[in-house]
Amino acid sequence: MSAWFSPDSIDDALALIERHPDARLIAGGTDLLVRRRSEMSDIPLISLERVAALQGIEEVREDGMLAIGAATRIAELAVSPLLAANAPLLQRAALSFGAPAIRNMASVGGNLCTASPAGDCLPPLHALGAQVELIARAGRRRLPISDFIVGPGRTSLAPGEIVTRVLLPSRDRFAWQAYEKIGRRQSLAISVVSFAALLRLDDEQRIAEAHLAWGSVGPTVVTAPELANWLLGKPLDQSLIDVAAERARAAVCPIDDLRAGADYRRALAGNLLRRFLRRVQHG
Amino acid sequence: MTKTTNDVNALAVGANETRADAKAKAQGREPYAADYYPDGVLWAGAVRPGARQGVAHARLLAIDTAAAAALPGVVKILTAADVPGTNRQGIVHKDMPVLVGDKLRYAGDPVALVIAESREALRQAIGLVVVSLEPLPAVCDPVAAMAEGAVRVHDERADNLLAAAEIRLGEGAQGLDHCDVVVAGSFSTPVQAHGFIETENGVACCAPDGSLTMTISTQAPFRDRMEIAHALGLSFDQIRIVAPCLGGGFGGKDGATVQCLLALAALHSDGRPVKMVWGREENLLAGYRRHSCRVDYRLGANRDGTLEAVHCRLVYDTGAYAHLGGEVMALGMEHAGGPYRIPHVLIEGQCVYTNNPVAGAMRAFGVCQVTFAFEAMIAELARELGIDPLALRRQNALLPGDTNCAGVVVGESTGIADCLDLIAGHPLWLERAAWKDAAPPGTQRGVGLAAVFNAAGYGAKVRDSAIAKVELTGDGQFVVHNAVSDMGQGNAAAFVQIAGHVLQQDAARVSVRQPDTATAYPSGSSSAGRTTFTFGNALIVACEQLKARLINRAGLLLFVDDDSTLTLVPGKIVHQASAREVSLARLAGFLRDEERSCLGEYVAPLCPDPGTGKGFFIGFPHVVFAYGAHLARIEVDLSTGQIRVVDYLAVTDGGQVINPAMYDQQVHGGVAQGLGYALMEDLATRDGQVLAGDFSRYLIPGALDLPEITSVACPGEESRGPFGMKGIGEVAMNGPLPAVANALADGCAIHLRDAPLTPERVLLALESLAEESSQ
Amino acid sequence: MSEIVFELNGEQTKLAVSPTRRVIDVLREDLKLTGSKEGCGTGECGACSVLVDGQLRLACLMVAGQLDGHRLTTVEGLGESPLGAKVQTAFAQAGAVQCGYCTPGMEIAAVDLLSRQPDPSRDEVRAALSGNLCRCTGYVKIIDAVCQAADVLNASEDAQS
Repeated sequence: MSAWFSPDSIDDALALIERHPDARLIAGGTDLLVRRRSEMSDIPLISLERVAALQGIEEVREDGMLAIGAATRIAELAVSPLLAANAPLLQRAALSFGAPAIRNMASVGGNLCTASPAGDCLPPLHALGAQVELIARAGRRRLPISDFIVGPGRTSLAPGEIVTRVLLPSRDRFAWQAYEKIGRRQSLAISVVSFAALLRLDDEQRIAEAHLAWGSVGPTVVTAPELANWLLGKPLDQSLIDVAAERARAAVCPIDDLRAGADYRRALAGNLLRRFLRRVQHG
Repeated sequence: MTKTTNDVNALAVGANETRADAKAKAQGREPYAADYYPDGVLWAGAVRPGARQGVAHARLLAIDTAAAAALPGVVKILTAADVPGTNRQGIVHKDMPVLVGDKLRYAGDPVALVIAESREALRQAIGLVVVSLEPLPAVCDPVAAMAEGAVRVHDERADNLLAAAEIRLGEGAQGLDHCDVVVAGSFSTPVQAHGFIETENGVACCAPDGSLTMTISTQAPFRDRMEIAHALGLSFDQIRIVAPCLGGGFGGKDGATVQCLLALAALHSDGRPVKMVWGREENLLAGYRRHSCRVDYRLGANRDGTLEAVHCRLVYDTGAYAHLGGEVMALGMEHAGGPYRIPHVLIEGQCVYTNNPVAGAMRAFGVCQVTFAFEAMIAELARELGIDPLALRRQNALLPGDTNCAGVVVGESTGIADCLDLIAGHPLWLERAAWKDAAPPGTQRGVGLAAVFNAAGYGAKVRDSAIAKVELTGDGQFVVHNAVSDMGQGNAAAFVQIAGHVLQQDAARVSVRQPDTATAYPSGSSSAGRTTFTFGNALIVACEQLKARLINRAGLLLFVDDDSTLTLVPGKIVHQASAREVSLARLAGFLRDEERSCLGEYVAPLCPDPGTGKGFFIGFPHVVFAYGAHLARIEVDLSTGQIRVVDYLAVTDGGQVINPAMYDQQVHGGVAQGLGYALMEDLATRDGQVLAGDFSRYLIPGALDLPEITSVACPGEESRGPFGMKGIGEVAMNGPLPAVANALADGCAIHLRDAPLTPERVLLALESLAEESSQ
Repeated sequence: MSEIVFELNGEQTKLAVSPTRRVIDVLREDLKLTGSKEGCGTGECGACSVLVDGQLRLACLMVAGQLDGHRLTTVEGLGESPLGAKVQTAFAQAGAVQCGYCTPGMEIAAVDLLSRQPDPSRDEVRAALSGNLCRCTGYVKIIDAVCQAADVLNASEDAQS
């Protein structure tokens, strides 16, 4: 039996963390409570689900960003009109996340902090250039998501810190957005490879801007910026697509595990990019 | 219109009656073994050090229980020294210790049993038991296990062979020499978990007089008594087993799971009830599972498509203990020639001990492994010969009076040809070409077939009998005393329907009492497609007897001497001519307690020995078979290798249908489990350690992974079955893997020989095919 | 121990319980509401599905403290709403029940769906039930049941309007 705290403000939460440095933060609990079964049943838990400031999706006027409260449930992402308008690929990821009950429980902040290579929200957040906002007694800070997640299960969250919001720069000018998750089954799928992309063509059908991200093909999300840069200014034709797919295979660094082998993951990484670019090509 | 009691309809065999158990289950009221939490209950759990320490084979050096025993809430910690009897369990071969005393043979072997006041204390105490092991080299490959000088799993078995046998017909493998065409292939099938949602569990209590009462999620309550008595040195009449509805079984609760451990715990709990529930991880480590199998085939035919000869070699991995390994192998061998006429047959089987987790009974045991390979061979033969695959199957399909590959002359109820004909006329088959042509960009479509069969009953040398009891209660209701567990297949509801039909009663007047060894009679296990067949036949006898007795007594009361003028109707017996009647409640009042019950007995038919087998112990051959023809339409995503099964058609010959909805349920369920086996399920191990140790890694199909499944009952009748039925719980399991594999070959020209047919295997095969064709 | 106050199947309930005790254990062991089942303990099977404030949740991945101030519905209370009762009847009549162990969770997920989407397509039903594993049925008759319940519900609403 362990202690349980359920603060309703960020200040209270920070005070509790200070008083209980061994405590774990819990939002949805869908990862933490699974691990707690075998490992850490005596560790105090500080629940963030009643902290109103960590909930909801809104536009931040001053910098034109979308802000998603860290404790916002995945299910809310899945139905948010703001996301539908600004980040449909993140919405698609939310719709394929776990299963309905899990989506009603799990939070976007939890998905970030678990930092699994297979985290469903992570490739879209990388492609969207998301920033992670953190708060501690000392103040707030903001990190690009690529600096926040530093390894499988590892983040740069410091002791005493809470993730407050995920901030999305406005990328609604991307006509082409994609999210695909390939698992070993459709129900409750855990990604074998996932892929997120944002792409914009110029008036001559050349690639004007592209952001690509793959999940489950490396210790953290692979964004292959060289590949995205290489695409710029090039006309989207068959030979470009073939080379891009080949480069994608080379850019990822998957491992063999129970879900799939590295060769398959590499092949998928290329094929998913190929499929996306073909779709763009055929308009 | 208001309904009066006269409008009540008696239950009727063949009608779509609502399952008797459906309402309580839908309301969450049906009590399962797992739902019993008696006051003051203790919790018991096993210490399984092999998994924790990453060893599958080890000498047990010492167990230090001091730290665990000192934990508050720990009641007792028991080891092999505390086991009073033989300390051995097993259905046929008693080779599995209740608690290991000398060496661990697999990663899940238990060495100690902890009893604690709470689940939390139990969990912590299990973690604190210190077990010293001396690792031994492990043998985890069944072929390597048979090599000379291999590590011995059981000291007394130098070759690690649990069983080896052969079936020979005609010229055996020499028959292949005369064939115009011979196809060959080597296949492997994965380990499959039952995946029942209610894990292994039970609750037990030992009374001051030493008698044990146990409520267990079990398929074989009567055999459990024997197992516990043997292992723990008790007299079996001291043991009472109650078997409520199971939350799934599929063979995995046939044989001791929690039984002996729990009984041992109860003996040490000072009269307090004690509960054991395996978590999902423990289920996947220490529960039984389907045998993996290596299969080699050569199949020969004449140019006109007539099958001539087959040679098959099967190696089953039974893991560390026998369970029913020999019988699993025997049943697979008996089906290795498919539901066809083949004059020359050689089938060789081996079942091998390894240091892998224990394989046991699972729906269609032994058979679904060989069916995958054999039906892929048939498809390949059809391509080689340029014959339509359905026509080739139809041409060779067993007909009544033919001899099957085990040398058994099959009876009138042999409907495989009819099943194939129903496929041939079905739109899903007739319109296949247009459907395939309409594949969306980036995909390819294929259509695959499988012809399947599955024996019902225990087979030779195992008495397959049942004793049914039906009772008229004091208030004029009927109770069927079921003796064979209902693991979800609906046999108990079928018994209600049969009793209602014979006794002409409506649903409200017939209920069922689930198995209890104190009130029911030994009737075998819920397994082998024999449950409704055998118990149902016994029940008909019991009901007919009771009906005759009631009519006789009614005649006495009503002064009627001609039984034929008296009719049993819902709630009463009426004399139509005089419009006089006596209610069953009143009639019951005239009967003494022992007169209100009737017992019926039945022994299932056995097959005369055809003299074709060598090396079989029990369970070969069989005489009753269900048949089926399956069709799968699949769409393959060429970018990812994912297979979507779009349509699935299963035509089944199960004789007469007792309840169409329940019939479809069995077919749907078998197909679903078979599609899981085909597409994703693989309880993989490495060096004897389970890799897919929970439900996030061991994948079974969810609602998005299965197609709409069409079940068609092929008309037929098995004259020996109750109301002409035969068991169909298993046969549908055999079709999906070969049907999907054949659809893959049809659509994409790739021939996967290792199951499951994962997206990875499909995509890599597609890529190597593309490379070959570009060269 | 701490006191937790919540509405359980329509009844205001006060419970002295460890706030980190799993909700599934509170239901099954403490309150003897054994209709909710545990099949995996890791959120992968859905047998422990419950409704919290009318929303689908998993009782194996919730702790008692999370219930404080909320409204909990289990299969035992499902039949008290017209929607829940129709779903239960449809499951029994459509042949959606075999071993029955997944049934309570399936029904909870079905009620969650039908309360948001009263006239779902079969694909929507599949998606809504995709977190609930069934090993007996192949799902066909479960989907039939949910669609039947929707039909009955819509017909009775038409009749009223």
